[in-house]
Amino acid sequence: MLWIELSITFHSMNSFIKKTMTIFSLQSQFLSCKIPQIPSHSKATIFRENTNQQFTLSGVSFLKPRITLCYSSKDGDNTPSESSNFCIIEGPETVQDFVQMQLQEIQDNIKSRRNKIFLLMEEVRRLRVQQRLKSLRKVVNEEGEEETNEMPEIPSSIPFLPHVTPKTLKKLYTTSISFMSGIIVFGGIIAPTLELKLGIGGTSYEDFIRSVHLPLQLSQVDPIVASFSGGAVGVISVLMLIEASNVEQQEKKRCKYCHGTGYLACARCSASGVCLNIDPISVSSTSTKPLQVPTTKRCGNCSGSGKVMCPTCLCTGMMMASEHDLRIDPFD
Amino acid sequence: MSSTTCVVVWVSCGSKLENITTTTHQKSVVKCSNNNNDKIRFTSISSAAVAAASVPSRSSEEKVYEVVLKQAALVREQRKRRTIEIDDDFMTNLHLLNAAYDRCGQVCAEYAKTFFLGTQLMTEERRKAIWAIYVWCRRTDELVDGPNASHITPTALDRWEQRLNDVFQGRPYDMFDAALSHTVSNYPVDIQPFKDMIEGMRMDLRKSRYNNFDELYLYCYYVAGTVGLMSVPVMGIAPDSNSSTETIYNAALALGIANQLTNILRDVGEDARRGRIYLPQDELAQAGLSEEDIFNGKVTDKWRNFMKGQIKRARIFFDEAEKGVSELNSASRWPVWASLLLYRQILDSIEANDYNNFTKRAYVGQAKKLFSLPAAYAKAFLGPPKLTKMIMR
Repeated sequence: MLWIELSITFHSMNSFIKKTMTIFSLQSQFLSCKIPQIPSHSKATIFRENTNQQFTLSGVSFLKPRITLCYSSKDGDNTPSESSNFCIIEGPETVQDFVQMQLQEIQDNIKSRRNKIFLLMEEVRRLRVQQRLKSLRKVVNEEGEEETNEMPEIPSSIPFLPHVTPKTLKKLYTTSISFMSGIIVFGGIIAPTLELKLGIGGTSYEDFIRSVHLPLQLSQVDPIVASFSGGAVGVISVLMLIEASNVEQQEKKRCKYCHGTGYLACARCSASGVCLNIDPISVSSTSTKPLQVPTTKRCGNCSGSGKVMCPTCLCTGMMMASEHDLRIDPFD
Repeated sequence: MSSTTCVVVWVSCGSKLENITTTTHQKSVVKCSNNNNDKIRFTSISSAAVAAASVPSRSSEEKVYEVVLKQAALVREQRKRRTIEIDDDFMTNLHLLNAAYDRCGQVCAEYAKTFFLGTQLMTEERRKAIWAIYVWCRRTDELVDGPNASHITPTALDRWEQRLNDVFQGRPYDMFDAALSHTVSNYPVDIQPFKDMIEGMRMDLRKSRYNNFDELYLYCYYVAGTVGLMSVPVMGIAPDSNSSTETIYNAALALGIANQLTNILRDVGEDARRGRIYLPQDELAQAGLSEEDIFNGKVTDKWRNFMKGQIKRARIFFDEAEKGVSELNSASRWPVWASLLLYRQILDSIEANDYNNFTKRAYVGQAKKLFSLPAAYAKAFLGPPKLTKMIMR
């Protein structure tokens, strides 16, 4: 029922959706914007029918009335010329594009763009479902067996091991358990039976300690204490390795240019946010005013923030701008 | 990586800083008469390398050669250091500038490990300059070839070019631009190769096929030859060099082209999987190969013959480049020789793979890489070709 209604709204929004080009073209907030206007009443009425229901989408729940309000904002402010003007590289002039707008205008613009983002996200989600269904069917046809290969490659958290899949996980379980039981059996049964001793030629532990001239109290270590220490050392070192490996993995995903921050230091103001006001000093010294301390003004490059967009990762901080980034999922 | 990256070209290039402007000025007065000889020699080599007999009215090689001449001339003109109005704090703020250069080094180490090791053979100043240039080139390349390449538009490249102009005028936009701006204020680097590289990126947006070698040559110039031209001013020319500036620039250009051709020949399979074929269409047709053959990825005798010809041509360019390396600053020669030898070995590796560049990656093993270092050292400092040939064998 929910989806039928959504599909109705979907169809009516089709023409509106077609005007938006790519998801990044929605970033036309970087371009100069027109004031969003309230559109024709026809659109508003369609949506008003659906105001009474609440629905959840991918775990995000929100009330429809909010959507209606959002839809009622200007729909055509993304004119083709603006969309084609947008580009992902910032320049010193483009940062100023939204400076002229009033607070309310800005809020309305943000709302309308969030809407568009949401609709496009929904479109993408549905397309992906279709894609997955179609590729599954293809895989089934070709191989004759069902292989749902939806998961991305999971890198192993144990260093030096290849990619992990559910199959290799089972292998890992069996290998580890067999190893552990083998060692327990060895230590508990086989070694005492064979009277395996540390020293060569069957000398005892104490003799061995004496022969390598280590302090004699080492030879009096309680076996339980010894095994506990050994186990603890093993576990701790493994945890350490895993953590290091994990950090390395995460680092690999970071954008190398901005180190994951998404921003680079602005060169114009040396990341301070303010620039010196450099006015030409008049040569004519009719007045004997002393030179004034130079004043500072807000840096035009970065609008005072001291940071500019990293063009490689487009402010996501990741190597690959993924779906789980705030711009794509703005309902936070 | 795909052939559009100019990354590996960077394995070349050198070390000591010398004041090349004054020295080359003196030399150019004496050596002007050699220019024509150089030009004739150059075009004859390239036309020998071109399979097709007909040469268009203004071939790419001629156009590129003109750029090279202009570069050399510019170097002679710049007697003094270029004075750029530096009104930014960044450039004068040493702490931030050093941080920027460090970042450049990190990016270089991340993406081009062998090249990064090569830069360790250079002086501190030159190393930082090369890093800054590398990072700019890589960022430019990633615009069309990186993770966000699907969102790139011609406007974006225009905006990027505008930022480049600002960099050369001392108004960098972000920290990496600032490092490059500082570099170009210290070394007589010209803006033209950078602009040509952006042009090459524009070309890459529209073209995925190249009809003849002429077009491919132009593309190789744009993405790799320019790198050679950018780096010669940083490397410096030896004061006791007898060659003209043009010869050295030509050699650098040839090295870039050779590197790019090697890249292309190594990555045929990878590029084909992305729908790009960089090999000249007419030569493929002459060898009786079609696009399907490349997409299928089967090694046939026709393919082997075709590849033999291509590798031979790349080797001609390497030989051409070798002539200029010895004219660089003595400390620059070692890294350049090392990169030249290393990259040449990739061609050997393709041959060893039975010309299977569809599925096998031709790479030079660590041992061979390490061994190239002393061989390059010998070439750089000992000089006589016989001696180095003995060492190489």
